Amino acid sequence: MSENMINPVPEGANKAGVASSDRRKFLRKSVALAAGGAAIAATTSANAADGLNTWTTPLKNEPTRHMLGRGVVSVPYGLPSKYEAGVVRRNVGWLTADTIASISFTPWQDLHGIITPNGLHFERYHAGAVDVDPEKHRLVVHGMVKQPMIFTVDDLKRMPSHTAIHFLECPANGAMEWRGVQMDSLQFTHGMMSCSEWTGVKLTTLMEMVGVDPKATWFYGEGTDGSALQRSIPMEGAHDQHGKPIPALYTSHYRDAMVCYAMNGEALRPENGYPIRLFVPGFEANVSTKYLRRLMFVDKPLVTYQETKHYIEVLPNGMIRQYNLVNEANSVITSPCPDFKMNGKGTYEIRGIAWSGYGKIKHVDVSIDGGKNWTEANLVEPVLSKCLTKFTLPFQWDGSEHLIMSRATDETGYVQPTLKQLREVRGFNSIYHKNSIQVWKIEKTGEVKNVQIENV
Amino acid sequence: MSKSKMSNWGLGLAAAAVALTLSNSAFAFDTSADKSAPKVAGIGMNITDAAIKPWNISYFYDGTNLPDGSGTVSAGEKIYSAQCAMCHGDFGEGAHGYPKMVGDPVDQFEASAKAGVDAVSNRGLNNNWGNAPTLMDMIHRHMPFYAPGTLTADEAYSVTCYVMNLASIPGVGDDFVCDKTSLPKIKMPAEPLYVTNSGPDTDNTRCMKDCYKGTEFVVEKAAAIGDVSVGKVQKKDTQ
Repeated sequence: MSENMINPVPEGANKAGVASSDRRKFLRKSVALAAGGAAIAATTSANAADGLNTWTTPLKNEPTRHMLGRGVVSVPYGLPSKYEAGVVRRNVGWLTADTIASISFTPWQDLHGIITPNGLHFERYHAGAVDVDPEKHRLVVHGMVKQPMIFTVDDLKRMPSHTAIHFLECPANGAMEWRGVQMDSLQFTHGMMSCSEWTGVKLTTLMEMVGVDPKATWFYGEGTDGSALQRSIPMEGAHDQHGKPIPALYTSHYRDAMVCYAMNGEALRPENGYPIRLFVPGFEANVSTKYLRRLMFVDKPLVTYQETKHYIEVLPNGMIRQYNLVNEANSVITSPCPDFKMNGKGTYEIRGIAWSGYGKIKHVDVSIDGGKNWTEANLVEPVLSKCLTKFTLPFQWDGSEHLIMSRATDETGYVQPTLKQLREVRGFNSIYHKNSIQVWKIEKTGEVKNVQIENV
Repeated sequence: MSKSKMSNWGLGLAAAAVALTLSNSAFAFDTSADKSAPKVAGIGMNITDAAIKPWNISYFYDGTNLPDGSGTVSAGEKIYSAQCAMCHGDFGEGAHGYPKMVGDPVDQFEASAKAGVDAVSNRGLNNNWGNAPTLMDMIHRHMPFYAPGTLTADEAYSVTCYVMNLASIPGVGDDFVCDKTSLPKIKMPAEPLYVTNSGPDTDNTRCMKDCYKGTEFVVEKAAAIGDVSVGKVQKKDTQ
């Protein structure tokens, strides 16, 4: 009974073409979730379809049935339906002093795949978005190189191209939750993140062209906006300003780096660095300099403002941690989430996204009982390195209270930490890289709340 | 569909087919168009270091590449009052949500961090900045916020000098002169606190069943913070 209650297997699943191995997997997960959900109150009905009302009124045509629609190119650059007007980027007024050095959030609660539509990509500016003329824009590559070079945007487009799907995440994603629950919204707990198909020139192609000195151990990019943002990025053999080696974990990401001119097949948006930006997959987003005008190869870090004052973590031992560059394994349930109320008892699909700056997602486990018991979720293809992976798990809501949460494991074996574990090593003042397990509470009323479990 | 429209479609297809044939044959004779990523040639221009110089504006933590010129605390005070104080405060205490220059003294900062009560609003040049040359870099590159990159090197050195004096950085007295020789010698109070990340620092395991006993302590939001509700309630179908 409990198997059907938690996770009913559709009648005739085999007839409908569900492969038997898939069906076995499905059943196994059903059983596991049922076992895990022992705390769920039993219902008298094993059939979720029981108790449905019956529609008796003759159906009417919708107004669109008797009219002509719009012609082609009436909207030359297509827009979402007017009924989707609420699906927009949002910001939090009190978070920053103005909207110029600020951030906006992607509405993940309204998205269904792993790709962020370009108009919904979160924004992070240090000196506002600018409109850079691609005809006049130039990229200089210099420093410890045989031959410094300068390129137009067209030059870059002519070079061998590289395309890959990767997430891009601000290290402040989730930052407002370090000290306690603040934002009852997925958009604001996890919206400083996107995932796009990026196209450009691999950094290694440019490195070959200019002949980078093997003694170069760092490079940095610089933008042509008001912040002229610059971040030091380590390569093999990099040492910090005290002479201590940068762990090898962080010295090979640059090999996947590229100078991008396109996202999701079209030109970058001004908000995201048009006409070109640096992109370092897996690293915190601020190293991927927008409006890129200069790449310099060097043998030491700059220790910029960003590296000494801003993107640092004050630890509970009083030390200030720098160069925490990788966004480690993370995941969140995107449905249900606090942005929507549950729509009655019955069948739901728990859906979410998982990602890791170290590589591919290996497992995502879901708990509906506050983390006492877990069930492995289905990973939706494609499962790519340093890319969002969608996961799903059937869920039968019986109207009772649940603490739902997801836990990602990446291909290195790293398991997403609990908030308690993260606070034990980072304290409450870390601000950045809060990748702990997110808990949502489903209330009996159907409301979904952002909560934190403090003791386990 | 009229006959003329149909033939338009037909002609278009024929033209496309010809173009495809031509490009295919061209490809077949182009021996460089293989997959083995040949050396990129004939793209871009070489450039001289002298031509790059106006863009080569990064000053390293150790003073490398600091520009010529100099500035004083008193000259910096005048510029700061006119162009900086409205955001960073008359005494470097910050204003309107913009960063302060002067935070708690570094030992107090360290104690707050250990007690778990440090906040971003406590952080200033005296407790959360490692090297004086990169302060010059920030000011010359990014300030003033509303007109970035408009200070001369002398002006930027002066503002650097003044804000370090405001924050009581040891060695930066009222008569201190900031230039490419003096800045690298400044010992910023927080410099010994910096430590480089050494790798993953949590070790959760993939427990699947009976992962803990007892009751979880669940914390909910204490109070509403502004209007951040974005959701809509899905409605049950009704006739």
